[in-house]
Amino acid sequence: MAVSTFGGLQTALRGLLAQQRSLDVTSHNVANASTPGFSRQEAVLSASAALKIPAGAVQSGAGAQLGTGVDVLAYRRLRDQFLDVQYRGQAMRLGGLAAQVRGMETVEVAFSEPGENGIANQLQEFWSGWESLANAPENPAARQALVEKARGLTTSIAALDSQLATAGEEAAAEYASIAGAGGEVGQIAGEIAKLNETIRSSLSSGAAPNDLYDRRDLLLDQLSEMAQVTVTDPGDGTVEVGFGDAAAPLVEGTTVTWPQTLTEPGGKLGALLKLSEPGGTVASYRAALDSFAKELADSVNAIHTSGGGPPFFSYVAGAAASTLTVAVGAAEVETSAEAPVGGNDIALAIGALRGSAAEQMYSSLVSRVGTDMSEARRGEENAQSLVLAVQERRESTSGVSLDEEMTNMVRFQRAYQASARAMTSFDEALDVLINRTGRVGL
Amino acid sequence: MSARITNTMLSRTVLRDLNNADFRLSNTQRKLSSGKQLTRPSDDPFAVGRAMRLRSDLEGIRQYKRNVDDGSGWATATEAALSRITDVLQRARELLVAGGNDSNGPVAREAIATEIEELTESVKQEANATYGGRYVFSGTATETAPYAIGGADTYAGNAGTVARAIGAGVSVPINVDVHALLGDGQGAADNKLLDTMRDIAENLRGGTPADAEALRNTDLSRLDSNLDELTRVRAVVGSTSNRLQTAGRRLDELEESSLDLLSKTEDVDMAEALVNYSTQKSAYESALHSGADIVQMSLLDFLR
Repeated sequence: MAVSTFGGLQTALRGLLAQQRSLDVTSHNVANASTPGFSRQEAVLSASAALKIPAGAVQSGAGAQLGTGVDVLAYRRLRDQFLDVQYRGQAMRLGGLAAQVRGMETVEVAFSEPGENGIANQLQEFWSGWESLANAPENPAARQALVEKARGLTTSIAALDSQLATAGEEAAAEYASIAGAGGEVGQIAGEIAKLNETIRSSLSSGAAPNDLYDRRDLLLDQLSEMAQVTVTDPGDGTVEVGFGDAAAPLVEGTTVTWPQTLTEPGGKLGALLKLSEPGGTVASYRAALDSFAKELADSVNAIHTSGGGPPFFSYVAGAAASTLTVAVGAAEVETSAEAPVGGNDIALAIGALRGSAAEQMYSSLVSRVGTDMSEARRGEENAQSLVLAVQERRESTSGVSLDEEMTNMVRFQRAYQASARAMTSFDEALDVLINRTGRVGL
Repeated sequence: MSARITNTMLSRTVLRDLNNADFRLSNTQRKLSSGKQLTRPSDDPFAVGRAMRLRSDLEGIRQYKRNVDDGSGWATATEAALSRITDVLQRARELLVAGGNDSNGPVAREAIATEIEELTESVKQEANATYGGRYVFSGTATETAPYAIGGADTYAGNAGTVARAIGAGVSVPINVDVHALLGDGQGAADNKLLDTMRDIAENLRGGTPADAEALRNTDLSRLDSNLDELTRVRAVVGSTSNRLQTAGRRLDELEESSLDLLSKTEDVDMAEALVNYSTQKSAYESALHSGADIVQMSLLDFLR
């Protein structure tokens, strides 16, 4: 018989150790219940290699295999790589739309429409100023009031233009601070490259670095908010990270290639580029504001100069909104094409511009900003709920459930106790065998 | 096996629902406190565009109303002056009829002539009527008196038109051409009112049979045709005045309906907002309640 007397003790010990390892893992899970990016782990248990007993072990004379307890096969992290890919796609959309909404908010607030302080209201007052002047063309106070209203209007237009320009510059500055040397992208890429190296070396020594994987996945999640991220696995434990439409991979093994030029990276950086680039969203609003200012100045000037007077507004072509100024003083305001003081044909004609092309251009610009903004906001809400849905599914696979861990803890603790009890009963059996056997009548 | 629900999922769901409820509440609260449905273009781009157009219309209507008021004042001043000129003319006609009577001696005729001359001056005085410091009969030369009192009878104004805009693309001339009525006096011999009056005074003083004949025939018929012209001018002023009043009433109605439309577009329906508010508030409270219960619950409370 090749079965050792102490084999049962060894089996009980294996049970004790395996349950202890499981308890360790449970404790690790509980400790990280609220760690971002953490995936729950489990000790994979498996019955250890059986002891072969030669022929004659059982009544039929055949051999048998005697169980020797349990071993920890591996420590596994529970994670669905497919959900990671889905999450990163949605996070990129959300990052882009959220940045767009934030940028657009600045733009929308700058307009301060609808309201008393908006340009639309001042434009109305400007037309009324002309009509009031038409009612009293001889009155210097009416002239002065008109000139003041016109100055207020031009100041507001220039202020709006500069606020729009600032919104564009802010977006450009944010892009530079994220994507520039030493920015967030570079830092994350550097950390991924370091993790690549550590993970590769732990794998070569045979250990699965679960927590390092988690850390790297979290960094990739963060990176995916900035731009489109593609992750490829060359097979040695490292990852190769493609970023937006950058020519070279951002991280390849332990090498980081950054900064690189991006044109349409998607995500937050894509949205910032779209806001700030020439011909981008903000630039197109400014162009529309320019053509509004130009139309306003041209339509008023055309009538104002018809009686041989000076132009009412002046501006620099190509930058009408920022350079629009009132070119005349109160005394030079023309009310009539004829000389007498009481004439009001010019003032009437300019007053009749109320509701004309210039005003429509402005209100369609405001409508456009509103539509863009509400579309972006709807998109953001939509992307937000998609991200949450993927997050839920990921959490459902990888998240730590305290109730489950508690149940496991009870399970492992009881199994540990039972193994210890098995060991005790062996001990007692051996006690009988070693200390009492053969001592008859003593 | 159903999906695993972890503690993080639970607390995230609770937090998200609370946030959403909070956001909805604060939106409703903003609407309630501002009374406005629209505070930003993105609230409803189409409605904001419409509200801006309505505001533009409304501001236009208000300005037109001010213009109508100003025009009405002008027309009233014109009407009053013309009415007084009519009175003067009636008196002048009575005097003329009396003066043409042969029974009056030279002294009596001199007295009548003097009164006619005074009446002429008061016609000029009335023609210098002002509204808000502006001469209403001077055309567009509103700071120049049309006739010099005690001076020559020549018209110092011009034939310009003073107009008020009373609607989009509609402007009404509010001044009348008094020059066509009063003329430039004897020097111009234009048979207009001042010329006629001066001639009457001259004929009264002349005393010749030809003068007496003129007083009875030509002067009387000239004065009558001047009176006809005056009546015509007053009719023009009256119709302008009517037109302005009609426009004023129409603008009042328009203002009311535009205000109504604007209010429907950008003002909050208070009843609806208040109902929403209490619904959202109770939703928020129950979210807080259940959230507080669920987040705290754990197997730990029950394990020994």
